[in-house]
Amino acid sequence: MDSEDDMHDANDVESLEDFYSGDTAASDDDERDFDFAKSDDSDDETFHPQRNYTILSEDDILQLQEEDITKISTVLSISRIQASILLRHYNWSVSKVHDAWFADEESVRKAVGLLEKPVVDPMLNAVEVTCGICFETYPRYRMSAASCGHPFCCSCWTGYISTSINDGPGCLMLRCPKPSCGAAVGQDMINTLASEEDKQKYSRYLLRSYIEDNKKTKWCPAPGCEYAVDFVMGSASFDVCCNCSYNFCWNCTEEAHRPVDCGTVAMWILKNSAESENMNWILANSKPCPKCKRPIEKNQGCMHITCTPPCKFEFCWLCLGAWSDHGERTGGFYACNRYETAKQEGAYDEAERRREMAKNSLERYTHYYERWATNQASRQKALSDLQKMQTEHLEKLSNMQSTPESQLKFITDAWLQIVECRRVLKWTYAYGYYLPENEHAKRQFFEYLQGEAESGLERLHQCAEKELQVFLDAAGPSKDFNEFRTKLAGLTSVTRNYFENLVRALENGLSDVDGHGACSRTQSSKSSGSKSKGGRGKGATSRYESTQWSCKHCTYVNVRSTTECEVCRQRR
Amino acid sequence: MQASRARLFKEYKEVQREKAVDPDIQLVCDDSNIFKWTALIKGPSETPYEGGVFQLAFAIPEQYPLLPPQVRFLTKIFHPNVHFKTGEICLDILKNAWSPAWTLQSVCRAIIALMAHPEPDSPLNCDSGNLLRSGDVRGFRSMASMYTRLAAMPKKG
Repeated sequence: MDSEDDMHDANDVESLEDFYSGDTAASDDDERDFDFAKSDDSDDETFHPQRNYTILSEDDILQLQEEDITKISTVLSISRIQASILLRHYNWSVSKVHDAWFADEESVRKAVGLLEKPVVDPMLNAVEVTCGICFETYPRYRMSAASCGHPFCCSCWTGYISTSINDGPGCLMLRCPKPSCGAAVGQDMINTLASEEDKQKYSRYLLRSYIEDNKKTKWCPAPGCEYAVDFVMGSASFDVCCNCSYNFCWNCTEEAHRPVDCGTVAMWILKNSAESENMNWILANSKPCPKCKRPIEKNQGCMHITCTPPCKFEFCWLCLGAWSDHGERTGGFYACNRYETAKQEGAYDEAERRREMAKNSLERYTHYYERWATNQASRQKALSDLQKMQTEHLEKLSNMQSTPESQLKFITDAWLQIVECRRVLKWTYAYGYYLPENEHAKRQFFEYLQGEAESGLERLHQCAEKELQVFLDAAGPSKDFNEFRTKLAGLTSVTRNYFENLVRALENGLSDVDGHGACSRTQSSKSSGSKSKGGRGKGATSRYESTQWSCKHCTYVNVRSTTECEVCRQRR
Repeated sequence: MQASRARLFKEYKEVQREKAVDPDIQLVCDDSNIFKWTALIKGPSETPYEGGVFQLAFAIPEQYPLLPPQVRFLTKIFHPNVHFKTGEICLDILKNAWSPAWTLQSVCRAIIALMAHPEPDSPLNCDSGNLLRSGDVRGFRSMASMYTRLAAMPKKG
């Protein structure tokens, strides 16, 4: 099976040569080709970066924690319990513990509450001791004390510990109940004095603390996922793929959003949830009642508006004047020429223009949001399709086409690529929304790349979805299957290249368009008839001129001369 | 419940026994409910509260002494850490720094100490806190002593 040639044939993409540079050159047989497509390739790094993080299961976490405790305990010659308290105090940083301890052991001991010897020892010279909490007197074998020696009876200790544990993770910093004492209470006391349930809670908090208080580890944010991630600081990419298959950004713990930066994503998410769009809608589609100022949407009917009770003010929609003023003088009830006259005089320009602009900015946002949300939904669908593929269809297909399942990996690869591309594409719409309107060259280049990537992805998705179905529905082996294989594998690889280009360009801030003629090239290539979807984006936004700017907070499009937003009054 | 009752009873007996020890504090248990106490405390000397007698109300939770009692001023007082309307007190040992080794008696002592040393940086009474923070000690003192005279001293005539 000579994949190279077939691929070219199968994909009648006019610009294929440009993007198809040497990716498949190394492969002669299918087996190798598919392994190759998976990883290891240096080109591949944009999508599967070298792992700069480790996924930790609960056992791994416990083991790491134990190792750190052992390290501290041996180096400082203190008990493991004390080492654990010390590490927690310094957010589980072994080096910080070392630094602090060797700089000033005494003050560290004092701050953390690790006493070298008891401050009181009443238990030696008395047979009976009074508990400092319940004030009962007990024989001393029924008393317990932390390293300080302040005695409390066991049932008071149990209550004290239990109250603290049920109050939250603060129990990890529990101190002797005596005010002003401050001796630390360690896990050894918890284990001898607390109930089974409380003990478990305590060790849970201890485990969580190791992940949550440590700067280089975080829990996977996927719901129900119990893995943690240990991240190597200073790595180029923040993308983390957890063992539970959830992709997220290490930096902001939102869903992975490469190549778009965390700031843009945060703005976009805030925007999607914010009320500002409602406000824009109200501004664009309603007018306030001239009397009671409540916004009124005019959805049909004549210009004679009667505000809802209790206001009941009757007014003209066009001029917002009282309806009682309308009549012969104004050119008849249904031809309010006062409006036209006033408009000519410029009286309504300001408000009208404002409404128009708000309407435009709402449309613009809707445009990007729609595409963002559609890709999101499409990705979810692709994920479930992939799952279905892996659990049902592959086996069926393997039997039907008499092909080992290992050789059907190209189908899984295609779907994985689709899922990843949908994610990237989705975020490019957030990127596009925030790309300044006046950077024409960048916008065009971006929309070109996005359009190319999107149309490539549509072809791939279509092929993986529809054309595969034919083989699933077929009764027996089909001789076209090999052709399908080369086509799908080819499309996968082409689409991956498109997206790599897109990601790379966005990551370096579209800097390619500054300076050389990339822009004009892309323009001509675009007009030469690729059915680029980016064109849609362009069509919807081209009416914005560089004489305007869009407010980051409420998206209202302002004239360039203003320095603060006319709607929300935030500074540019 | 039983543990808190036992502990409160011990405190009650202690209070009866040591009545004369601290003349500034007079703790009284409610006749019918051992979980309700009141206290009369004397305003510390050399403060604008001097000469006043302030009444405190204690509501004691069933988990006492593992949880702190809820204490508030019944007497109106002008103090940065006491809510002017409700009498609620902002004091760390009544919140997160509570220890079961504290007693009602020691809480009263802590409140007297708070009266002598207000913490204007975490105010419940912002007007009072602002006076101190802006350095207007005289203004603060005259307001506080006016309210002491109005609310915490026996009415003349």
